[in-house]
Amino acid sequence: MSRLMRTSEIASLPVVTLAGDDVAQVKDLVFSADGGAVAGFTLAGRGLLAGPLKQGLAWPKVVGLGPDAVMVADEESLEPRDEVIAAAASTVEGVGSGGNVLGDRVLTDSGTDLGKVVDVVIDVGPGGAGQCDVVGYEIEASEALSPAGSKGGKGTRMLVPLPDTISVSKEHVMVPAAARDFVTQDLAGFGASVQQFRDQLRGPA
Amino acid sequence: MQWWGWLIVAVVVIVVLAVAFVAIQARRRKGGVIVGKPGSGPGAGPGGRGAA
Repeated sequence: MSRLMRTSEIASLPVVTLAGDDVAQVKDLVFSADGGAVAGFTLAGRGLLAGPLKQGLAWPKVVGLGPDAVMVADEESLEPRDEVIAAAASTVEGVGSGGNVLGDRVLTDSGTDLGKVVDVVIDVGPGGAGQCDVVGYEIEASEALSPAGSKGGKGTRMLVPLPDTISVSKEHVMVPAAARDFVTQDLAGFGASVQQFRDQLRGPA
Repeated sequence: MQWWGWLIVAVVVIVVLAVAFVAIQARRRKGGVIVGKPGSGPGAGPGGRGAA
């Protein structure tokens, strides 16, 4: 069974080999704008004095992703960081930005600012392996998202589902206006919201 | 200034530099969520979705 996780739960997780060696910790999550597939992680060293590493971890090399560690077979699973980032490159012209989406504003295609991205929600495959996709953003809601106060006020954290293809510029991430109807505050029910939203976008079969 | 005055200054400078270094490294370790670059190719590197 797949499960939803916030990327903030993954940041700083140790990367541990099956032999039990603690080889790095997660720094950034890297994903593709085409379908939101997670390509892998950039890494930082362990310890107070360590900085970012020149190595990254491609998602196919991840044996398991749990609440306490990212498991890999061995230290050979790490590869150059630039290759991990390149693996997330979009096949579609103009899609993707190569930048960090945290702090970006979420705009609908009808021009409404829904809020600021504070976290990203991923769908991790069964057993913490298999396919892993970005399926939503957690945002600090703008006033426009809840004019009647029905879903919380300005600054409330809310979850916005994403379509299969994600549009990201340097400062904004774009979502269809229909995403507004599927916003939730509860991660437990968010998976169903994402599914309904994507079904609506695909239209009747 | 007495020799111990210089010693105190040196210790303070070392402590400040050490704290600054640790703070900078902590900032560099801070995570984010990076989206791939636009239109650069199908799962370019090894381990991409296009990879076997």
